[in-house]
Amino acid sequence: MPGQPDYYAILGLPRDASSEEIRHAFHQSALRLHPDVNVEMGDTELFLDIQRAFEILSDPELKSKYDSQLPSPESTQPPVQINLLYSRSALPLLDEPQLVYAMINLSPPHTETTMNSAPLNVCLVLDRSTSMKGERMDMVKTTAIEIVRQLRREDVLSIVTFSDRAEVLIPAGRRLDRAAIETQIQMIHSSGATEIYRGLEAGYQEIRANYNKRHINHIVLLTDGRTYGDEPHCKRVASQASGRGIGISCLGIGEEWNDHFLDNLSSSTGGSCAYIAKSSDIRRILKEKFLGLSRIYAENVRFDFHTGKDVGVRYAFRLGPESAPLETLPPINLGSIPVDNTLTALLEFVVPPLSDDVSQVTLASGQISLDIPMNTTPTSVTRLRLQRPVKAEAPPEPPPTKLLNALSKLTLYRIQERANQAFATGDLDLATQHLNSLATHLFSQGEKDLARTVLDEAENLERGLSLSETGKKKIKFGTRGLLLPAGTDSSLASVDIGEG
Amino acid sequence: MIICPTCFNEELEGALFCIACGTQLTHQTKSPTETVVYTNPNQPADSAAETRISKAAAPGTTQVAFKIVSSGQIIPLEGGEEFTIGRVSGTQPILPDIDLTPYQAYEGGVSRLHATLHIAPESVTISDLGSANGTQINGVKVPAHSPQALNNGDVLTLGKFRVEIIIHP
Repeated sequence: MPGQPDYYAILGLPRDASSEEIRHAFHQSALRLHPDVNVEMGDTELFLDIQRAFEILSDPELKSKYDSQLPSPESTQPPVQINLLYSRSALPLLDEPQLVYAMINLSPPHTETTMNSAPLNVCLVLDRSTSMKGERMDMVKTTAIEIVRQLRREDVLSIVTFSDRAEVLIPAGRRLDRAAIETQIQMIHSSGATEIYRGLEAGYQEIRANYNKRHINHIVLLTDGRTYGDEPHCKRVASQASGRGIGISCLGIGEEWNDHFLDNLSSSTGGSCAYIAKSSDIRRILKEKFLGLSRIYAENVRFDFHTGKDVGVRYAFRLGPESAPLETLPPINLGSIPVDNTLTALLEFVVPPLSDDVSQVTLASGQISLDIPMNTTPTSVTRLRLQRPVKAEAPPEPPPTKLLNALSKLTLYRIQERANQAFATGDLDLATQHLNSLATHLFSQGEKDLARTVLDEAENLERGLSLSETGKKKIKFGTRGLLLPAGTDSSLASVDIGEG
Repeated sequence: MIICPTCFNEELEGALFCIACGTQLTHQTKSPTETVVYTNPNQPADSAAETRISKAAAPGTTQVAFKIVSSGQIIPLEGGEEFTIGRVSGTQPILPDIDLTPYQAYEGGVSRLHATLHIAPESVTISDLGSANGTQINGVKVPAHSPQALNNGDVLTLGKFRVEIIIHP
């Protein structure tokens, strides 16, 4: 029905939401957006929308009239294909805690072979601090110019540069001629310190100014420095951005930048964080990022859920399209679904000791919501319940090969995390032990360069030295990179049968 | 609770991999992440293993095995008369016949090519290859590049890494 807003989507609810769920969703949104408390421009308009939605959906008569106009759920295509894999077909009845893994695969409903992708509204936030001078900045300039040349007519690009202050180099939404933009980029001058908040805030304002639900709204931050003291401000910007479906991705160059901080920052918005080891990689990685953004089917994919009684999420990781650690508390921002690929997330659940009157365990029950820029509805919501039956004995069949392979690689990343933790707490022996185990596995998988880096760091520890920043980043992002082939290969979806 | 057979880390039931050392904990398939394994991971580290070695021995050949003192794991030395002992390292072109890396040899100060062990019908000898941390037999340091006789039950120390020698003539 053209012109008729999707009230369910406005409240972030599936079509079959109960009256209690409708009431709850309204209260949640109202708490956040009420004119007495809201801080952001546009929040009052959003508040009026949800108020209108609640008026209709909370009144049985108006609701049934509204519902009757909607296309029937059977005739509408689901916005996303969900494919679930579990490490076990059933949980054994145990009087001790146990782990179970769930792999969530989300892909577009393949109706058309070539799907159009949404236009971009991207702000490139560039660190122009003194340390960027020379090769790094030259490479950034060249790449930025290439990106400008490859933009489609409908794309919007803004560029912000920052050091200890920020300047809007190319404002959003203004059609400057290309030559003028290129001149502006060429004139970027490197000097000053790195204050990420300055750049991030300015970038956020540019995206906001040109915000469009039909676009991919994204901030790409490129930095080589560590920011000091403004982290809470950065987090605030990230949480505002995330609330509006604006993603933030961070690309860190060299050894100094704070990968831990920027990893968390981008993860919370559904974006990704990449490591650029040397200047010559800037072009490839930055262009890959833009290519990825221009191939998005759905963004801001969130899994909001309640866990079952005493069940906890111990670990969550996105295996693809860009591998990244995820938050473990709901709602989890899973990132985006590419037009031609699958978003794959792996969740590790801890299940409490089971009593023999339990026949089924709910791991997580909730909904997946996503923004599909090419669709007319504001958001789409699909219910998702992860649950396992309980049996007296553990099922004999092995875990699905795809899950096992992914977890085998994720384990290497986790050993790396363990080594860092042990190092941070001063247990150097344990850290060395983890690194040696990691190196052994890497050698056996043919990852010789990475294995050598790991052994060098282990040797550093043995000689009483600290881990090197470069080594730490290489190992972290190197082991993360191992996940990609399995995680992004959508053809694997058909190989779900175990080896047995 | 599952105890990792490699590093004895405790994991919850249902875990598929040990997150301390990466060993696969499911029994259905053999670990795909280990290539150089000289022991059967399911083999119990006890005297029964020693018995199996002697039973498997063809008449007239000397059977030699290492028993790692810290873990009790058995590494049989089979298929040759001379074995180089060390650990795998990325920068090294020649690999040892017996790679002790999976047994935390690195922490134990084992050199990449630490020693060679020679099995003859009448004797078993060890030669230190000029290793950084040296080799000891029953606590006595041996000179480098000089073959030293080994007897059943001797404790061989490579750096700080200790193995008991098991010889079945």
